[in-house]
Amino acid sequence: MNVSYIFTAIILIVSLVMQGHSSFDVLRIGGVKPDIAFIAVIYYSYSFGSFYGEVTALVSGFFHDSMSNAPLGLLTLPKVIVAFAVGLMGRAVMKTNILTIIPLVFGASVLKGVISLLLCMIFHEAGFADIAYIILPESFYNALLAIPLFLVFDKIYENELGREGNY
Amino acid sequence: MEFFIRHKAIVTLVSSFLFFTVSLSVQSSTFTLSVEGLGSLFLMPFQKGYNFVQKGAQVMWAGFTELDDLRAELNQAHLKLQEYEAATEDFTEIKCENERLRSLLGLKEQVVYKSVAAQIISKDPDNWFRTIVINKGSSDGIRINMPVVAFTGEQKAVVGKVIEVRGSISRVQPLISPTMKVGVRLQGSRYPGLMEGYSLNSGLCVVDYINKSALLNKGDHVITSGQGGIFPPGLLVGTIEETLVLESSAFKQAIVRPVIDYNHVEELFVILKIPDLDLIELIERH
Repeated sequence: MNVSYIFTAIILIVSLVMQGHSSFDVLRIGGVKPDIAFIAVIYYSYSFGSFYGEVTALVSGFFHDSMSNAPLGLLTLPKVIVAFAVGLMGRAVMKTNILTIIPLVFGASVLKGVISLLLCMIFHEAGFADIAYIILPESFYNALLAIPLFLVFDKIYENELGREGNY
Repeated sequence: MEFFIRHKAIVTLVSSFLFFTVSLSVQSSTFTLSVEGLGSLFLMPFQKGYNFVQKGAQVMWAGFTELDDLRAELNQAHLKLQEYEAATEDFTEIKCENERLRSLLGLKEQVVYKSVAAQIISKDPDNWFRTIVINKGSSDGIRINMPVVAFTGEQKAVVGKVIEVRGSISRVQPLISPTMKVGVRLQGSRYPGLMEGYSLNSGLCVVDYINKSALLNKGDHVITSGQGGIFPPGLLVGTIEETLVLESSAFKQAIVRPVIDYNHVEELFVILKIPDLDLIELIERH
């Protein structure tokens, strides 16, 4: 399991640094870019349960908040809540295929977006227009990108998934 | 203890919820800022390393693919240089005339500010914020509220202002951010207005409080007014895309597209203009 922790840390740091680099802007569609770190959090939660997902969400969210102009917790809290919810219906409930991954990641991204919007409205600045400008386009983008990423993650965590009887 | 271990997922959720609710409520406290600073400090070497590798790869690739383009650009640059050299004489004449007329009218001499060139290290990794981190900080003379500009073609235009400074890095808030407010003026008609970001991902700004008698056309230039204590006057901001006339308002509004494309800008210049803190405080209080 130690190796998988190292892989998880590398994946989170690489995805956050990539997302934060100016070259990642070429991937913007409709003004939004995908959240790879969040897709990774959904994967961990979906594959290894709520607790593992929450811890990953806490770590990735903390670094996400640090890199961003966001106050501490604004990007972390939605991830933790979504990680908990996704973990409740993991691989044991939903088998891995395109028909389950796309709605799962889309739904999780919408939930994260709605919680972020509420937190922004209370503690920062946001409006309902952001549902159309940010939440929905980002959710579509995340859902599409999740398919290849889930396949890659499945390969990386093949042994761990096999040990848990999920592969 | 067994209860906490058995229900660790729920315990983590509840404790995270409580901790972050408190943290968000006191978001400007020393504790939360220093915790975020630690995270930023940990990630900075990775960000700088990735930036270095990416730039190196870009330069190597450009060496293979852009040689012909560079040759053509060099020829064009030579031609432009000749044009500029020819224009220098006229420019000097106009400058002298301008100075003479200014002194006759008793106008103050325009201040010329120095600037520091900076490269973008990173941008906000999410879609909810659009700040930019640059590789120059307080050690280079940069202070909070200094204006930031960039060049697009031959035009110099406003990017935003510095909102956070550390030793070797600074964070820049772009014009398109809804929390950013800039005093502007329509270049042609000279009517003033107040500009702010339109919506987070629209890439547009909105200028409010424009006099209803002002004639606004698509493509009209908008420049900084110099009021507000941050930006010097006369810097290009953007062009008008659309005019909004609301029956309920005594003013016109204009949707403005900034000249700088935030998705493609790479090099910035921080103007070393010491902000007028008293004026900024007065404006922010109202």
